[in-house]
Amino acid sequence: MTGASAAAATMAATPGLTYAQMIGGGAPFDDYRALVCVFLFGGNDSYNMLVPNTIAEYNAYAASRQNLAIAQTDLLPINPVSFAPGSEPFGLHPAMTSLQQLFESGSASFVANAGPLIEPTTKDQFFSQSVALPPQLFSHNDQQDQWLSLRGTNQSKTGWAGRMADLIRNNVAGQQMATNASLFGTNTFQSADETVAYVMGATGPLQFGFMSSDPGAGLLYTQGQAFGRIIDAQYASIYERGFAAVQRRAIDSAETVIAAIQAAENSGAITTVFPAGQLGTQLETVAKLIASRDQLQMQRQIFFVATGGFDSHDDQNQNQPGLLANISESIAAFHAATVELDVEDAVTTFTQSDFGRTLTSNGDGTDHAWGGNQIVVGGSVVGQDIYGTFPVLEIGGDDDVGGGRMIPTTSADQFAGTLAKWFGIPDVDLDIVAPHIDNFAQRDLGFMV
Amino acid sequence: MKTRLISLAASLLFGIAGCGGGSGGSSQPPPPPVPITKAEAYQFLNQSTFGATEAEAQRVINMRYEAWIDDQLQQAASLQLPHVQSVPPPQFMFQLQPDRVDIWFRNVLHSDDQLRQRVAFALSEIMVVSQLGVLGDQPYALASYYDVLARNAFGNYRELIEEVTLHPAMGVYLSMLGNEKPDPVRNIRPDENYARELMQLFSIGLVELNQDGSVRLDAQEQPIPTYDQAIIEGFAHVYTGWTYAGAPVFQGAFPTPTRQVIPMQLWPQFHDTGEKTLLNGVTLPAGQTGDQDLADALDNIFNHPNVGPFIAIRLIQRLVTSNPSPDYVSRVAGVFNDNGAGVRGDLGAVVKAILLDAEAQPALRMELDGKVKEPLLRLTQLWRNYDAQSVSGRYPYDFAYIIFGQGPLQSPSVFNFFSPFYAPPGEIRDSGLVAPELEIATEFLNTYITNYMFCQTFFWNQESSPDCGPITDDTVLIDTTEEIAVAGDADALIDMVAGKLVAGQISTTLRTEISGMLALIPAEQANLRAAEAIYLLVTSPEYAYQQ
Repeated sequence: MTGASAAAATMAATPGLTYAQMIGGGAPFDDYRALVCVFLFGGNDSYNMLVPNTIAEYNAYAASRQNLAIAQTDLLPINPVSFAPGSEPFGLHPAMTSLQQLFESGSASFVANAGPLIEPTTKDQFFSQSVALPPQLFSHNDQQDQWLSLRGTNQSKTGWAGRMADLIRNNVAGQQMATNASLFGTNTFQSADETVAYVMGATGPLQFGFMSSDPGAGLLYTQGQAFGRIIDAQYASIYERGFAAVQRRAIDSAETVIAAIQAAENSGAITTVFPAGQLGTQLETVAKLIASRDQLQMQRQIFFVATGGFDSHDDQNQNQPGLLANISESIAAFHAATVELDVEDAVTTFTQSDFGRTLTSNGDGTDHAWGGNQIVVGGSVVGQDIYGTFPVLEIGGDDDVGGGRMIPTTSADQFAGTLAKWFGIPDVDLDIVAPHIDNFAQRDLGFMV
Repeated sequence: MKTRLISLAASLLFGIAGCGGGSGGSSQPPPPPVPITKAEAYQFLNQSTFGATEAEAQRVINMRYEAWIDDQLQQAASLQLPHVQSVPPPQFMFQLQPDRVDIWFRNVLHSDDQLRQRVAFALSEIMVVSQLGVLGDQPYALASYYDVLARNAFGNYRELIEEVTLHPAMGVYLSMLGNEKPDPVRNIRPDENYARELMQLFSIGLVELNQDGSVRLDAQEQPIPTYDQAIIEGFAHVYTGWTYAGAPVFQGAFPTPTRQVIPMQLWPQFHDTGEKTLLNGVTLPAGQTGDQDLADALDNIFNHPNVGPFIAIRLIQRLVTSNPSPDYVSRVAGVFNDNGAGVRGDLGAVVKAILLDAEAQPALRMELDGKVKEPLLRLTQLWRNYDAQSVSGRYPYDFAYIIFGQGPLQSPSVFNFFSPFYAPPGEIRDSGLVAPELEIATEFLNTYITNYMFCQTFFWNQESSPDCGPITDDTVLIDTTEEIAVAGDADALIDMVAGKLVAGQISTTLRTEISGMLALIPAEQANLRAAEAIYLLVTSPEYAYQQ
């Protein structure tokens, strides 16, 4: 069921410079690339997003999910290229028509049953505890942390985007903005040792309203200067220094980034209408920043956007259609904007979420589980396929550790490593980004060109 | 400031050294206690109220710390629900949220039970429910829930978690309400949401702790999980059978104003009566009632040795410092374990132990003492000192979480506005320390708050001006009349502002910069001069720091 594995093997065999070598020269990249992480807070019930559509597999799904199952006749059929043409082996949730179109047109793929792992894990190994496991499985913040940091049992507080930004920091020295930008607050994903992510709002940064860097602005200029000197003073407490550092970054970036967003708006380059709401608004702002990448002298960017509400312990059947429609419409609009900007090959969007959810119901909802399905979208995605191994959705089956909690068959490290390699991280440094990748036979899942 | 404190500490040390060698037997009365300084009173009040003021500092100086705390422990709770219920019901319930937030501000700004309100706020950041999400249209439930926290702030933790568990706000938020026993035919098993979060976030955490809060390690030097999936499922089965009191159906009943505020009611036919695996090898026998199961399960959690250090760390972090020493945690956890009268879980004694500990009032300041002030506390301290009021008398700041990154019962999730483990990159993380409040001190929110403070100080004062948007009867205005009276004298103005907000402990840099700006503003623009002084102070790193 794996697509493009031959191409992946070829790429993996290509020797690359290590970043230790590259940092010495600090050679700039000769192209622009961006990764956009769409984090679905709460744990997306992705076995209702991507559903088996063949008779036996659908029946196993329906038997497990009972009152939470999507009717087979409602599924939006899809045709992954690794399967027999016309067999329609999978279907999407009926709310995801835009994603269906993206998939069928070759701009989107799925990575099936992915999740945090330290090494390949079978059900027997799980119960005999004969393999190392990520700590605190099924806990929200711990499993978010695993997806975002890939730290396994290490104590590290950096995220895999943060480590990528650190690795390339000398190659992107001229950038006017940090490599990592968040539109959804502080996050582990972009946390780093050497570089600092820049946090803006859903529509971009706020300008300090009553200060100016224009020497002609009179009292507002003077006030800005005074404010800056106060921020830059020596402080005795680590807390004062920590607070002042944020203020300094805010002052340094706001005007530049706001000007870039305004330039994109003035250019009229983006006509795509984004869905209203948090995710659509964030992705629209990301599109504007990408449109102004030259003005900002950006070569590599990693954006963090997110939306919540996926912790469907209750009322899942009422809430899931809206949640999934929002993902589908927002990501499709964003992809359309990248096509308008003629950068679709340089931008890759992907989802992550705390965990998949139990196949069994708690009456009107589901609980925390483990493996789940992720979406990857972009012109450089080897589209219209399903990567990894889609499990049999059977209670008590080989992949179920209880209640329909699927053991991941693809690790989050493999998922991240594949994206990192496309982003420009040499193969020899992938274990810095994805620390457990050497534990898995397939370092590159093959879903990126 | 640093120099002054160091020399003060040195003189104290000399004094102690000079008394060394005495071995009792003296019949002389003890020397009078060293007077509490205004700066010390401010430090104490910023730990124990919604912002130190000169008047309250004088009370602390007069009463001294312990008597002040004892007085506070006796103050009755200022409640929210009676106020929310007194407002004529609007067309849609969510429209009452501004009134709920309004009474929160009225209480924390003006009520006498300052310490109780501060601890209730801390508890609301530990045992989180939120307006954002499923409770958006249940303002009565939220007000009533907050009242539970306020009433039990100095009560017993065991009673607190029982009231929290059975409150319909929590029932809705973490989906225990309507949780039914297993039905294998429909592949239905009990909801695990509340089972998980009560243990992870409200009581014991994920790994076993020593009394000093350090993580216990097994023979392989690995942390020891406090529970596994079987235990989660055991508790999930305990929490079956509960729904709104007086509901006509077990699931799907409408949350009437009455149902929102009455403890959940047991429907025995939906309660699982099987055996249940709990913590520490305890198994509940089959056949117990839902009430028995719940009482036994909460006892089981309550008696876990983690609760003392877990609650000690979280309350210390909310009130005093982000990085308490292990000894400090151990002392406070010891009081949780036994208040001196053999009682476990006495929160009043715990709060008192936290505030009276030497580490809460260190004579020689260390650079890691204290914490970043929560953004909402930066606002309330300003408002308390400048008699902030609206024409209508209301504080309908239900948008607080947008500007300040936090508001009363406005967390984005059960994980609170920030994590107790958050460590920003740089020296804090590199030193193995944490600064939870900095998780929401983003570039974006810091700018938002800075801009808000500009509007508050320059335009939303007694000479209100619409330059920051329309002034309405609900616009909260500060009163800078006293500052305006002395505004012609820059030093007097700065002394007054710094005296009110930071007990006069203003850095040379900040004083110099404020003076420089005042030199550019003509003396007749007294309102502008007063605003400038307050603005630069309340947006400064030193004001954002709670010593």
